[in-house]
Amino acid sequence: MTRSEALPHYVESSRLEHFVNYEVLGKTTLRVQRWRDQWKLARRRPRPNSPLNPPLRSVAHMKEIMSRHYLEGRYAAGVRKVAWVTSGAPTEPLQALGYFLVYPENHAALCGVRRKAQGIAEEAEHAGWSRDICSYARTDIGAMISGKTPAGRLPRPDVLVCCTNICQTVLHWYRVLADYFECPLVLIDTPFLYQEAHDHEVAYVKRQIEDMICVAEEIAGKSLDETRFRDVMTNARRGAELWLEVLNRSQHRPAPMTAFDGFIHMGPIVDMRGEAVTVAYYERLIAELDERIERGIGAIKEERYRVLWDNLPIWFKIGDFSKWLAERGVNVVASTYTFAWGELAPMIDPSQPLDSMARVYLHPILNRSTGHKLASMRRMVDEFQLDGVILHSDRSCKPYSLGQIDQRDRLVKTLGIPALLLEADHNDPRDYSDEQGSNRLEAFIEMMEPRG
Amino acid sequence: MEIWGPPHVERHEGSRHFQAYTCDIVVKAMSFIRSGGLDATKAILVPHTCDALQGMGSVLGDFLQPDQRVLTLYLPRGRRSSDHEFLRRELGRLARTLVEVSGHEPCRDDWDEAFEAEDAADAALADLYRRRARLAISDRDFYTVVRSREYLTAEQFCDQAAALPEGEAPQRGVGLMISGIVAEPALFDQIEAMGAYVAGDDLACGFRRVYSASAEADPLERAANRLLTSPADPTCGTPIQVRVDTLQTRMRALGARGLLIYDPKFCEPELFDVPLLRKHLNAAGFPVLHVEFEMGDRLPYQTLSRIEAFVETLS
Amino acid sequence: MSRVAAIGIDAGSTTCKLVAVDQDGTIISSLLEPTEPRVELQVQRMLDAIRAEHGANSSVRTIATGYGRKLIKDATRNLTEITCHARGVFRDLGCAGTLIDIGGQDSKVIQIGGDGRPVDFMMNDKCAAGTGRFLEYTAARLGVPVPELGARALSTAQEEPISSTCTVFAESEIISLIARGAEPDSILRGLHRSLVGRVVSMVRNVGIVAPLMLSGGVAKNEAVREMIAEATVEDVILPGEPQLMGAYGAALLGI
Repeated sequence: MTRSEALPHYVESSRLEHFVNYEVLGKTTLRVQRWRDQWKLARRRPRPNSPLNPPLRSVAHMKEIMSRHYLEGRYAAGVRKVAWVTSGAPTEPLQALGYFLVYPENHAALCGVRRKAQGIAEEAEHAGWSRDICSYARTDIGAMISGKTPAGRLPRPDVLVCCTNICQTVLHWYRVLADYFECPLVLIDTPFLYQEAHDHEVAYVKRQIEDMICVAEEIAGKSLDETRFRDVMTNARRGAELWLEVLNRSQHRPAPMTAFDGFIHMGPIVDMRGEAVTVAYYERLIAELDERIERGIGAIKEERYRVLWDNLPIWFKIGDFSKWLAERGVNVVASTYTFAWGELAPMIDPSQPLDSMARVYLHPILNRSTGHKLASMRRMVDEFQLDGVILHSDRSCKPYSLGQIDQRDRLVKTLGIPALLLEADHNDPRDYSDEQGSNRLEAFIEMMEPRG
Repeated sequence: MEIWGPPHVERHEGSRHFQAYTCDIVVKAMSFIRSGGLDATKAILVPHTCDALQGMGSVLGDFLQPDQRVLTLYLPRGRRSSDHEFLRRELGRLARTLVEVSGHEPCRDDWDEAFEAEDAADAALADLYRRRARLAISDRDFYTVVRSREYLTAEQFCDQAAALPEGEAPQRGVGLMISGIVAEPALFDQIEAMGAYVAGDDLACGFRRVYSASAEADPLERAANRLLTSPADPTCGTPIQVRVDTLQTRMRALGARGLLIYDPKFCEPELFDVPLLRKHLNAAGFPVLHVEFEMGDRLPYQTLSRIEAFVETLS
Repeated sequence: MSRVAAIGIDAGSTTCKLVAVDQDGTIISSLLEPTEPRVELQVQRMLDAIRAEHGANSSVRTIATGYGRKLIKDATRNLTEITCHARGVFRDLGCAGTLIDIGGQDSKVIQIGGDGRPVDFMMNDKCAAGTGRFLEYTAARLGVPVPELGARALSTAQEEPISSTCTVFAESEIISLIARGAEPDSILRGLHRSLVGRVVSMVRNVGIVAPLMLSGGVAKNEAVREMIAEATVEDVILPGEPQLMGAYGAALLGI
């Protein structure tokens, strides 16, 4: 049995199909849907029983952007070159070469939010993969084997690009994908920064990015256009700067946006970093946030406590947590996770693309020491005037979770604020118990109550 | 004297730093350090081959802050020229730090002497595997010596290897290939009790550490090359098919009828590979058993039964 | 005129407790029963009994805590056991410190600050091996009644180490130990050591601020108390009524 026979759900489209279904029908339909969503949001009657203020209007645009991306994915195979990439990969050259990018992590998160991840992960588990490996990987491998996805259809990769700056398991995960898809795997191995980056580490990453460009050019059948590359880098920098501004708006009291909003609105900067549409989107979002700030409208009606969320979100609980915490006056105003895609903006230099990329892609928070992560959290407690910290001990994510016990301990002892270690998983609902989680969260909130 | 590892400590102390889903190797190493087990040393070197070891190196250096110097070594995950170049410079960085710790700057002769000794020990280890069928010792004793390559000096290891009695290996019954990260006495006792023997291995503490000598003039290049030409190993990012091919070839050559993969719980580099190893090896006619264990004195009854059943199906 | 200023309810998974206090926070009355399936009806019955006995009416502030606290419709407010246990023990023993509560189904360590409020806490509610259930279950295997567990464990100097981390697997381990001729009391001693090991691990994670205090049903087990003291090299003190501390704290928070 050939690979194509073993994976029949990966089909190719013709240029005509891509044009008609995506460019014409698809984009139009999504635009209409956005108008409809905007209209609904504008007409939304106040809900006195909800602890949340009305959702941000910009979300209609964000939905359109992300839906368009996944819609094109259905018709991209055979028409555009397709690369599957890790969330921390240096994708700018691939963008500039016209690749359609698939982010398996984002797709898995989408499955998690739609509460489909468990069923899809079970496909991988039945094929032998242990529940002790990352739930993103299980969701992705399960989707690949079975074709199950709430996103319609994913295009088969022409190349896999795997960057270890988010964790070490991505390489093992992508080796599995490479085994099934029988396509080239490009590795960008980013040494972990226990301290400041050393020259040989930067040189190593730069060399691997150069090698990646060679492979990508060969597969795409064309050379990297310098002008286009610079445009992409400029957009990437601008997009990251704007995203950082979006997040920092929550330093205001009350914060106009929650970290849960952030987990949703981060889609463009992760999946479409380098595109003009991302820049335009965050400009729009900032304008809306500024409007809220001027009118004193917070994300939640009664902001009594301001809290930091560390680690990935619990995707299948975002809506529930948002409401549950808001009911108790808790506004999760910041997260270390969303910050990762903004805080490196100053390092991006379009005039020195390869040198700056080599540095940028070494420095995401997940590639930095546990001491650095603690320092970041302490700074955020100060800058955002926080009353407590929730550290999500994500079973699936060792690079983020290992070190949290010591970090939590120091936050409590040196800052004197409550910090809760909440055991769960970002995508697998079987690893979270509502009963136990709520109990601990309640105790945590009780500890933030003012004295006297 | 027999040395296995890690030392028999509980997880309690280590679990003050690492959650329950962290492997025994890291958690127990931490327990050992906390209980003063390494007080006699001046430095602790934590290699980087996975997320758990990454966490250990970081937490040790940033939070536990022992008296010993905490050193790290990043092992690249490819075998490309960029990886060679990086590893050469990374070893250079480590070497400079070691000079600080020891106060001794090695000269050319020091390097040559060290390489000569290590190359001899590597050759002795490779030779041990070649001569296995003609060594009159049990599997347990064989692996005691194999493991000691990690702890003894090169010269001491060569002596140990040379001292093994020749004769017919007391191996009876079904030949098994063992793979995984580390094997402990309980496993060998059980294999023997079940009427099987170890035909060969692909362990991280065994065959995967059989290095071949390099001839580069520059000592750092020579050391980097030695590390990067080692056998297929998931912790170095080897493609699955390469590992499958290596295993198949060895199993046919050594007459192994099945593969037993023996891993501590929560070992991600292994857990990703296992389903495909099983799929490809089954297709080639080799049954595969994956056993996850907790490092301690005794194997639980459930594990013993599984191994017994596996051997029975191969007989 | 009723002296009852507030009532605290601790609707636990194993036992249900009620405590009534006066304006000064002194306990006037208390009730303790095994939890019934319809706990909200049970609590109503217990409330009625206390109110009737002491002439209190339903306007008296009632604070609910414990596993079933949300089911108590009559409660003025509900608070977690963390906040309530800390308050109760702080008032009873008169000092800050580290509280270890080992219940039937969970165990917790709470660092109590100088004002009686929790500063930090850690819970084990996932795994029976760190709770009273571990002893109950394994002791049942050995045919020893729960109230005798501690004395029996201390009655021998011999100890059989138990290596299983899981309650269910510990059972098979006990069976093989008995088959090999090990003494039940030595096995009991080993089981206690196992439980205490897990608990002390949690205590160290939170950090020891002396003194160590015990509450919950398992606090009455003298072997547990002795082994915790041994493992931590700290004094371990008990409130007068370890099982009532949750309900007592809840009542105090209602005044």
